[in-house]
Amino acid sequence: MAKLYRSREGQITAVDTKSQLTTLGSETAPGPLLVPQGAKLLKAVITALACDQSVAADGSFFIRLEGPGLPEGPETLAIGSSGVAVATGGHGSRSANRIEVDVPVVPANEILIFAENAGEDTGTETVGVTLEFIT
Amino acid sequence: MARTITVEGDLNAVDTRTLLTAQGSVTAPSLVIPAGMTKIKKIIATAAADGLAAGESVHFLRLGGNAVKNGEQVIVFGGEDSQTVQTGSDAAPSLGSYFMLGDVDIDVTPSDTLTIAVESAGVDVGDMTVAVTLVYGK
Repeated sequence: MAKLYRSREGQITAVDTKSQLTTLGSETAPGPLLVPQGAKLLKAVITALACDQSVAADGSFFIRLEGPGLPEGPETLAIGSSGVAVATGGHGSRSANRIEVDVPVVPANEILIFAENAGEDTGTETVGVTLEFIT
Repeated sequence: MARTITVEGDLNAVDTRTLLTAQGSVTAPSLVIPAGMTKIKKIIATAAADGLAAGESVHFLRLGGNAVKNGEQVIVFGGEDSQTVQTGSDAAPSLGSYFMLGDVDIDVTPSDTLTIAVESAGVDVGDMTVAVTLVYGK
């Protein structure tokens, strides 16, 4: 038994808008995120978030997992929030978070990852998501 | 029984795979998996930026090389916010806490070589320093 990790990242630039995470830094077209052969469960989801704090506003962020790799349907997970009183400067480091889920998966099928900003538009965010599969 | 390895390095551009090969005063620590160790059991990763550019980025770790049995494993570990309208003297500190991932369970081959790389995606926030510790086990 081992674990396998698959990641994607991308940007959110508008509020209440599904934004698919399709890239991986220098890999601009890593292709579909497929459930690895032999994977039985999506054991956990690891997420990281950054906001440019360019708007005096407050918002929360969540991700949506969808696609044929998830036989029981879509899942949504809150991943963080951000707010600033003035858009005149800010700076912060954020650690990733791991959310244990135990969601059944279908090997060789795709999982689509979307991120979304709810509440007020807080500017531009970059979101990274790692799916932790267990075999 | 467990063994550890820590590496660190600078990450100064987005979308650039950057190998971590140094360890402070030790410029070239061994990245060979210790004999008898068959798994990466824990990961600890931390990063902080000087915030000299306005942007937002997330960081991820790439564990690869001949030692990783199931191919490169990519794991996000943090993010960085930066808005630089303020003057430098007013800038808030960027205090990077660490992200620790337990029960990592990545299969590796003992006595083979690991590559530890990091990468940042999004919009460049300036210069960043990253440190990563791996805990090996059986």
